[in-house]
Amino acid sequence: MMYYLKLGFILLIFCVVATGILAYLNTLTAPIIQDRKTKDEIDTREKLIPDAVFAADSTASGMQYFRARAKEDSTLVLGYTFICSQKGYSSEVKTMVGIDKDFKVLAIKVIDQAETPGLGANCEQEGFSNQFKNLAEADLKVDKDGGQVVSLSGATITSRAIASSIQAGIAAIKASMGAEL
Amino acid sequence: MNFFKELTKGIIKENPIFVIVLGMCPTLAVTTSVKNAIGMGLAATFVLLCSNIIISLIKDITPSSIRIPVYVVVIAAFVSVVNMLMEAYVPALHKSLGLFIPLIVVNCIILGRAEAFASKNNVIMSAADGIGMGLGFTLSLMVVSTIRELLGAGTWLGIKILPATYDPMLVAILAPGAFLTLGFLMAILSMVKEKKQ
Amino acid sequence: MTYLGEIFVMAMTAIFIQNFILSRFLGLCPYLGVSKKLDSAIGMGLAVIFVMTLASAFCYLIDIFLLRRFGLEYLQTIAFILTIAALVQFVEMVIQKNAPALYKSLGVFLPLITTNCAVLGVAILNTGMLRSDGTAYNFLDSVLNGFFSGVGFTLMLLAMAGIRMRLEMVEMPKSMKGMPIALILAGTMALAFYGFMGFKI
Repeated sequence: MMYYLKLGFILLIFCVVATGILAYLNTLTAPIIQDRKTKDEIDTREKLIPDAVFAADSTASGMQYFRARAKEDSTLVLGYTFICSQKGYSSEVKTMVGIDKDFKVLAIKVIDQAETPGLGANCEQEGFSNQFKNLAEADLKVDKDGGQVVSLSGATITSRAIASSIQAGIAAIKASMGAEL
Repeated sequence: MNFFKELTKGIIKENPIFVIVLGMCPTLAVTTSVKNAIGMGLAATFVLLCSNIIISLIKDITPSSIRIPVYVVVIAAFVSVVNMLMEAYVPALHKSLGLFIPLIVVNCIILGRAEAFASKNNVIMSAADGIGMGLGFTLSLMVVSTIRELLGAGTWLGIKILPATYDPMLVAILAPGAFLTLGFLMAILSMVKEKKQ
Repeated sequence: MTYLGEIFVMAMTAIFIQNFILSRFLGLCPYLGVSKKLDSAIGMGLAVIFVMTLASAFCYLIDIFLLRRFGLEYLQTIAFILTIAALVQFVEMVIQKNAPALYKSLGVFLPLITTNCAVLGVAILNTGMLRSDGTAYNFLDSVLNGFFSGVGFTLMLLAMAGIRMRLEMVEMPKSMKGMPIALILAGTMALAFYGFMGFKI
């Protein structure tokens, strides 16, 4: 009995030492990871609506978005950016969208996905994301569903998820603006 | 035993993937591009080297009956270290390797070398073994991924090598292509070995 | 979607659409090593299903009540692999005491289940999986996913064993025998399973 306790105790010591080292390393790396995530988001936002100053806001239902005002004239609202996501084929697909003040898409960037490589994963390519420029809320359906979005070959599910999540996001912002007016 | 000999045996004679046939899961999963393959290979080599050294250092104070759980804790700790460092400093690579970074802990190569070598040899030799095996693993991964990336995307390390008129063989970077590529490579190696005899 | 429908989707996905071996590349070492004979394949498969289901259960609980509650996500790898190692040790003791014949036939394969990437793989995957409505898996989902993934693994193992047994009697170039033909076989099966990819249930 004592023998087993001794064995268990030795194992416990190894675990404690290992955990201690990892905890220390975590305090070093966690802030780096967090900073980088924030920086990435800011970079993407600035690329979607260039020459703008962003102010955070949220709709009544709690959805976060940013209002973009022109750098030279802070009374001029250029548009809004938000992040929307929907389950695609094999993962949650997150897209950051920039829309102008008339709620038409300026640009999008897929910021997180784990779809099938060579098929759905191509949604990150410019060829796919560029087509969203100037689309209005009603156009945001895949061609199969009667909309303007040409889906990726062999990846209708991924394309549909992206289109649908952007549509829902724009609808939410519209509703929120409508409520404010 | 010779340091240089231990170092180089892992590259050809006792190559972990093609000869001992260990570490199949990452070989098939991460060889979709040469960049991923090198990343995984270096991460695994780092874990292998560190765990071999530590296990060799503690081999005399580890009771034999719990040695496997102790090795597992050591290896898992280094894998977690690699995971955290990669997420902080090479986030894109960390994302493409995904699940397979924590899976390094069950990479049979690492536990296998710990049990077969590091637990029975001194630190310097264990380090050599670790580097050698890791290098062999990385090189093998590079061979497989070179074939798959060239055939499946026409690129090598992201640089377009094959002309634009080449229509990429998508299957090479998808699951079936992984099995087929490795199968044919092993068959070729087997043929070469036979010819030598 | 009703819960039963949800379970059906999970089962179809785990067994066919994202089969652990042919699509996720998890569990390959035993797949290529043990699948030569049908009976050892059956024994291994059943043991793996059992361990995967239990591992999913325990690791989920540890993740929710220990790791996430205290912000210790970076300890996930260590915590999970230790849980699995302890679980396999426990299963080994139980089988040794209650079914010594089974214990003897499984031999060295039982402790090897600890290093089966499928077990650790499903435990980690469960913490990130989503249902069709976007919510994360709960306890029952994780356990069921572990079970169905194990079933998918075992089915492939049995199919492979059956085919390899027949291949033993076929003429083929000497350099192809053993591992190469097994891999090419797996590749062909993976190709066939790719047909399931387009299914949305």
